[in-house]
Amino acid sequence: MTSPAPDEAADERPLEGWCPHPSEVPLPEIVDQAFDYRGDVTVLRRGADPIVGYVYNRETGGPAPFLQMFQASDGAALTVPYAEIHTIHFTGRDPAAGKSYEAWLRRKAAGAGV
Amino acid sequence: MSVPFSQMVTVATYVLRQKRRRRTRYPLVLMLEPLFRCNLACAGCGKIQYPAHVLKRHLTVDQCLRAVEECGAPMVSIPGGEPLMYPEIGPLVEALVARKKYVYLCTNAILLKEKLQEGLFTPSKYLSFSVHMDGLRQDHDDAVCREGVFDEAVEGIREALRRGFRVTTNTTLFDNASPMSMQMFFDEMMDLGVEGMMLSPGYSYAKAPDQEHFLRRQKTHELFSKMLSNPKRRWKFNQSPLFLQFLMGKQDFECTPWGNPTYNMFGWQRPCYLLQEGYAATFQELLDTTPWERYGRASGNEKCQDCMVHCGHEPTAVNHTFSSWRGFRDTVVATITGKP
Repeated sequence: MTSPAPDEAADERPLEGWCPHPSEVPLPEIVDQAFDYRGDVTVLRRGADPIVGYVYNRETGGPAPFLQMFQASDGAALTVPYAEIHTIHFTGRDPAAGKSYEAWLRRKAAGAGV
Repeated sequence: MSVPFSQMVTVATYVLRQKRRRRTRYPLVLMLEPLFRCNLACAGCGKIQYPAHVLKRHLTVDQCLRAVEECGAPMVSIPGGEPLMYPEIGPLVEALVARKKYVYLCTNAILLKEKLQEGLFTPSKYLSFSVHMDGLRQDHDDAVCREGVFDEAVEGIREALRRGFRVTTNTTLFDNASPMSMQMFFDEMMDLGVEGMMLSPGYSYAKAPDQEHFLRRQKTHELFSKMLSNPKRRWKFNQSPLFLQFLMGKQDFECTPWGNPTYNMFGWQRPCYLLQEGYAATFQELLDTTPWERYGRASGNEKCQDCMVHCGHEPTAVNHTFSSWRGFRDTVVATITGKP
C-alpha cells in the first residue's frame, strides 16, 4: 500500500501505518521519517528478510549512508546500509498517539484514570 | 545563590583551565540518561515515547562511566526517564561520587523514600537529589498528569533532608504559570528546607503531547521578571544568577549546545539535550562533526528561536562569568545581593 508523504498533513495523520513506495518517496526521506518516528518500523531489504525494530540513528554523510536500529525481537543493535534497503513500513504503534494533554484533562474532568 | 562553595570552586577552576587551554567548546554538565523508562507520563515531556523493547533497555554502569570519563565535565546530571527506576542507580552514583563528580539525580521522587529506606545512597556533598516540582500541589499534579504526586515528592524530600542529603528542586515553567503562585511555591520549598531551586522554561519537544503551553521568548521575560524582580532573601536558586537575568530579559545570551552534552543508549545526542537530530559514537566525534553553526537563535534555526532552556543557556552564563570582568562583577553582585 502506498500513501502520501506524511508532511502534507502531519498534524491530522500521524505516520503510523504509512507504507511509502520508493518510486514515490526518495529513500533518504523515508529513512529520515523513520528516524523521527517513535514507534517500531519494518525495514524491507533487497534479497533478505525484513527487520522489525526501532530506528534510532542514521548517517547520511559519507560514501555509504546507513541507519542504526534496535531489533524488536531480541534487542540486537543493527547497522543497515541504505543500499540494502528497499523501503520502510511504519508498522508499529506510535507511542505518542492518544496521550495528549487535552485527553488527560478530559479524563481528569471525568474523574477517571488520573 | 545556594551552590556550595566547594562546587563553585570546582566549576570555576575547571572553566578557567579550559580557557587557559584555549578550548572554545567544552562541556559543563553531562546529561546522562541511563534509561527512558518512567513512572509518569507528563504532558510536557518528549523523552519517554518509545516502544516497549526500547523502554526496557538501559545503559550499563560501565557504559555510563566511560561516557563520564570521555566527556570530562565536572558535573553529571542524571535525568531520564526516572533514574530511580534504573536498577544500577546505587552503584552508578557511588562510582560517580568516588570520582568527585557533582551529581544531580533528577527524580520525580515517587520512589525516593523507598530507595532511601533501602539504604541505596550515602549523603555526600557530591550528591544532590534534584526533585522535579513544577509548582504548588495542584499545578504540579496537573503538570505531571497524576493526582497525589506532589505529596509523594514532598514526603521524599523530607526523608532525604532528614537523612542529611542535599536536595534541590527543578521546575519547568509553561505559559500557564502564575507569578504569584510561583512565589508561594518558592516560599513552600524554602519552608521544606531544600538547598536551592532550579528554574527553566519548558521546551516545545516535537514529541511532547502538550504543544499549546510552551513559553515564547517575550512571555518568558515577562513571567520571570514578575516572579523575580523583587525576590525574597530566603529564596535560594541553585543556578547561575546570570541565567536568571537572561530569563528576565536583562542579559542576551546565545545557546551553548555543547555545554550540557547528552549521552544515552543511542549514543551522544546531536546537537543538544532537547533536539534529536542524530547520534555520534564518541564525545569527540560529537564535538568535531556536529554543524554547530546551524543551532542557536543567531543561526535562524526555527527550533531554536524560542528556546531559553537551562541546558543551552546556563553554560553560556557560566562562561560569561569567567570571560570578562563585567561578567564576573555581575555574578558577584547578584550572588551577594541575592537579586538576579
